[in-house]
Amino acid sequence: MNPFGSIYYHWNVNLLGKAFLRFQRLRAEQRAGRPSGWKSEYLSPPLGMTTRLTELISRHYLEGRYANYHRKVAWVTSGGPVEFLKALGFFTLYPENHGALCGARKKVIELSSAAENEGYSRDICSYARTDIGSVLSGKTPVGRLPRPDLLLCCTNICQTVLHWYCVLAHYFQVPLVLIDTPFIYGEVTEHAVTFVKKQFEEAVTVAEKVMGRSLDNRRFRETMEMSAEAARLWMQVMERGKHRPAPISAIDEFIHMAPIVEMRGEAVTVEYYRALLAELDDRIAKGIGAVKNERKRLLWDNLPIWYRIRYLSELFAENGITIVASTYTNAWGELAHLIDPERPLESIAQLYIHPILNRGTGYKLETMKRMIEEYQVDGVILHSNRSCKPYSVGQIDQRERLVQEQGVPALLLEADHNDPRAFSEEQAVNRLAAFIEVLGETGDN
Amino acid sequence: MPASLEIPRRSEVISRHKERGGRVAAVFPIHYPRALFRAFNVLPVEVWGPPKIEARQGEKHLQSYTCSIVRNGLSFVISGGLNVADFIVVPHACDSLQGFGSILIDFIKPEKPVIPIYIPRGTRESDIEFFTEELKSVFTRLAEAGAGSPSDPELIQAIEREEEADKLLQEIFQKRTHLPFSDIEFYRLVRAREYLPGEEFIELARDAVDRAGDNPQSGIPIILSGIVPEPMEILNAIVRRGGVVVADDFACLGRRLYPAGKSEEPRRRMAESIILGPPDSTRGSPIGDRVRHLRKLVEESGARGVVFYNIKFCEPELFHLPILRKGLKDAGIPSVVVEADIGEELSRQVETSLETFMEVIK
Repeated sequence: MNPFGSIYYHWNVNLLGKAFLRFQRLRAEQRAGRPSGWKSEYLSPPLGMTTRLTELISRHYLEGRYANYHRKVAWVTSGGPVEFLKALGFFTLYPENHGALCGARKKVIELSSAAENEGYSRDICSYARTDIGSVLSGKTPVGRLPRPDLLLCCTNICQTVLHWYCVLAHYFQVPLVLIDTPFIYGEVTEHAVTFVKKQFEEAVTVAEKVMGRSLDNRRFRETMEMSAEAARLWMQVMERGKHRPAPISAIDEFIHMAPIVEMRGEAVTVEYYRALLAELDDRIAKGIGAVKNERKRLLWDNLPIWYRIRYLSELFAENGITIVASTYTNAWGELAHLIDPERPLESIAQLYIHPILNRGTGYKLETMKRMIEEYQVDGVILHSNRSCKPYSVGQIDQRERLVQEQGVPALLLEADHNDPRAFSEEQAVNRLAAFIEVLGETGDN
Repeated sequence: MPASLEIPRRSEVISRHKERGGRVAAVFPIHYPRALFRAFNVLPVEVWGPPKIEARQGEKHLQSYTCSIVRNGLSFVISGGLNVADFIVVPHACDSLQGFGSILIDFIKPEKPVIPIYIPRGTRESDIEFFTEELKSVFTRLAEAGAGSPSDPELIQAIEREEEADKLLQEIFQKRTHLPFSDIEFYRLVRAREYLPGEEFIELARDAVDRAGDNPQSGIPIILSGIVPEPMEILNAIVRRGGVVVADDFACLGRRLYPAGKSEEPRRRMAESIILGPPDSTRGSPIGDRVRHLRKLVEESGARGVVFYNIKFCEPELFHLPILRKGLKDAGIPSVVVEADIGEELSRQVETSLETFMEVIK
């Protein structure tokens, strides 16, 4: 890397940027500390760690903005094995998270339209459209995205990412490393795990070539340890939702999951979740719930509806409902036990082939049944997500079985995780109102 | 079509095969090892939808944004359309077919064994090795289901027969414009490969090839690309506008003109053949490879344009289209995208788009 580029990077990121973001956080913490700062009658004030989260995420994108001056950059799918890239020194960027951020900041229509104008259909995933639109237009709410030197695509969340990354590889003309994880219909086969492991070995070789240096095994093990520790802490954070009232809701988790997705294998992520856990324990000790008057508890299935997250949060809170768990956020913690830093490649193969989205519809139903018990939920909302077929196909049968066999009220809510044009406000409001009414009839817990 | 070139009907072929003591596998799209099934005396009969059936049963399990191949396929299973089959085979082609296979296994639970096959998305040595192992497990499933246990020489014999059929299929495509068949007749002939035993297809194909004349068919030469030419009315619509299909990039046809595998180990040989087949979005081929492949098809066939006949909600195809079209445009090759649903009639919009396109390229 150019030494002047590195100076420019450090000046902007570590000197000016870091100081500015810390200043912003301190101001936000001051504002949050004022008694007049929070007005909701139904929702507790946001977790104190939210300001720290904002600082972390802003810093991540700030690093990204200047990364090309100083480091090699890899764009990675959210379920991708990031640990060896981190250990090699890559800056990693997750287009899906960037897509979600654009969704939360209501930038999707503008960016997606840029892709649609180039011929990308509205029937493809809205994260992909947002990302491709951002690449084509150069626009992003985070200032600037770094150009990738390497693309790493792992199909353990969907096949969509493969097609999406094929598009990115074509535009950027950089190596695309594929980690193809055969779908597990029932039990995983030995040859599938061997296949995934071999691909990791091949991926390491490609990444080393791009980086121009070999993977340091000690550093790799440390990264795996930090990844495992962060996943364990994240799981504990989510499990705090088992308390009544739940100190954290799944809607909070959708926001606070960003580090476990974007910053796995970093010390800062471990520190972050440790502090978040301490705050939740403090809330539990004081009897503070995410929703002030928690009467009903729900499980959420599928990705959030990013552009209506606040609306949904308030709607549920007004009705004394806390969404205490979600299969989506759970996916980033439930496999922590599979990480073995002493056997990094073997355990990485097991870890990355087993996410819920790479397993059959029956497994997801069993996961939901287990979570219903563990979190003592009164109902389930299955977000039928137009943009995510692997998550959504099967939900109709899953819902029917939850209602018929488990006697749990369950609602199939049609929407899209990122594109507000696929969301029918009136229909959704009516269906949610009817569902809340049904929940009300089941008696308070 | 001349009277002597008779294409047996799917139901006839199935009955005949069963009468001779054979078994039948209903195979969903797209890639699978025909020879492996034939070595077990199992006739693979492909199920691309099927088109124009009552899809209501499938709609009870699938959201409206799932493609019609999957919706119709599920309806067909539930309504008993596949009762004649002894196995249901679901190759992994996309997220929707993945969900379809999973729903079948976990919720619908048909009486017949459901055999999923994972098709790796690369062309690396590790992909071939994995797929070889995957085929070994399909072999085991079939053997455990009492379909016998063919020896390696028997497998090789079945492979060679299918390779010969594939070679003839390629020849039919090469001689396409010299064959005395209309587009719809031609497609009925080549799509008979979806259910005819290899040996019968070889006979039919030889007969067809022998009919090649000296003078090519007249018409505006075009290439069709997509997943499957359904509804097949598109072929008549092309003819009505003076067009003739001179090459094919359908997933059910042109993208399955597999090269013969090289290995002496039969399962690996089948794996090589499929993995190293023509570029296909559903196998994760780089888009650049597909651009080059299409340009080559245009160059070799003399086509004046490409019609992308896309099935609604087919993500693998939709992701590729903008870059494919730009790649063609840069080479001065016009293209058009028309969208259809296999369960519906050809829409007026499709007809109009085709008409305009043919006017432009003629």
